[in-house]
Amino acid sequence: MRETRLWLLSLACTTLLLFLLGAHFALMHYSPVFYGQTVEETRTFAALLERGRQTAFLVIYLLFLAAALYHGLYGLRGILLELPLARSYGRWVSGALVVVGLAFFAYGTYVTWWTFTQ
Amino acid sequence: MTHATATQTITFRLRRYDPEKDAAPRWETRTLPVSEGMTVLEALHALKAEQDPTLAWRSSCRMGICGSCGMFINGLPRLACQTQVLHLASDVVEVAPLPNYPNVKDLVPDLAPLFEKHAAVRPHLLNGADDQPPQGEYLQTPEQREAYGQFSICIKCGLCMSACPTMATDPHFLGPQPLAQAYRYCADSRDTGLRQRLEALDALHGPFQCHLAGACTDACPKGVDPALAIQLLKRTLSLEALGLRGRKPTPREVPLAAEFKPNEKIPAPPPRTVPTHPRNP
Repeated sequence: MRETRLWLLSLACTTLLLFLLGAHFALMHYSPVFYGQTVEETRTFAALLERGRQTAFLVIYLLFLAAALYHGLYGLRGILLELPLARSYGRWVSGALVVVGLAFFAYGTYVTWWTFTQ
Repeated sequence: MTHATATQTITFRLRRYDPEKDAAPRWETRTLPVSEGMTVLEALHALKAEQDPTLAWRSSCRMGICGSCGMFINGLPRLACQTQVLHLASDVVEVAPLPNYPNVKDLVPDLAPLFEKHAAVRPHLLNGADDQPPQGEYLQTPEQREAYGQFSICIKCGLCMSACPTMATDPHFLGPQPLAQAYRYCADSRDTGLRQRLEALDALHGPFQCHLAGACTDACPKGVDPALAIQLLKRTLSLEALGLRGRKPTPREVPLAAEFKPNEKIPAPPPRTVPTHPRNP
């Protein structure tokens, strides 16, 4: 039941994004309220590196990356599949988006891991 | 045709197309005196009888049960027999064939895509006895009947398919009517055929392409609510994929009475007045 599982996974990613985006907003835009730091302090490169070296943030970043990529690309797949084209076009769309998604995930993981190892 | 006392002259813009004569569809304007209570279907009959006998459309029962007279009337898919002209509250009534279907001629859509997609979801009871006619009755409680009853009153008019915005761009999308009927049978306690329908349902252009616009429910003249049926279908498929749906019990046949005993209080029928026929012995 491939399509059903892909859809359920998109729901799971949407739910995960709700929490991760909430945490992101709290940290990056409301840090005086939640962390006692000014917005400028949380956005310096030094602060970014310090967060990136923590295992918890490594996990959060990778989850955020995976959930956002899947959510976005699954949605884009839905839009592209609604174009009035041949039925076989659907397989090419899915395949291309898998390749794009994996490529972006690999790049994002590389950047996240590089930060973690600094 | 005679009408009641005319109360208003209405302008009808009719979409005309004769594939043997026209390169493309065109609009034709006609006027007709309309009285209170006159439906669009009655107006079309009057126009055909009095002004243009070549006007073509499909209709049958004229009472909202056959589903034949679906048309695009003033920007919405409606049954012509259920749409009163004066209730449209407009001096101009535009009548066009249903969108999202090929056009055969004038107001006649080609409904073959609807019937093909409907057939693809196997809209009949599947319970492991496909090749054998039932030998008895399947019992069903009122609650079990209620679970799918609303969705069983579909008259296959195709208005929902015309209203659906996904159907407008994606010709491969199954559409509200087939998906609603797929749920109707999956929800029927006498049916165990969800897995047999998966090839059609768990597909790229299946129920997960529905974005819950709800236009199908708005258009439905019988209150079927196909949008609800599609969301319930998504839930059914999700539970099945997660292994949480549980196994449906095999429908139990209750044998018919071995010997039929007529009710003695009911008088016997009168003797036949017509010869017997092979199909009606």
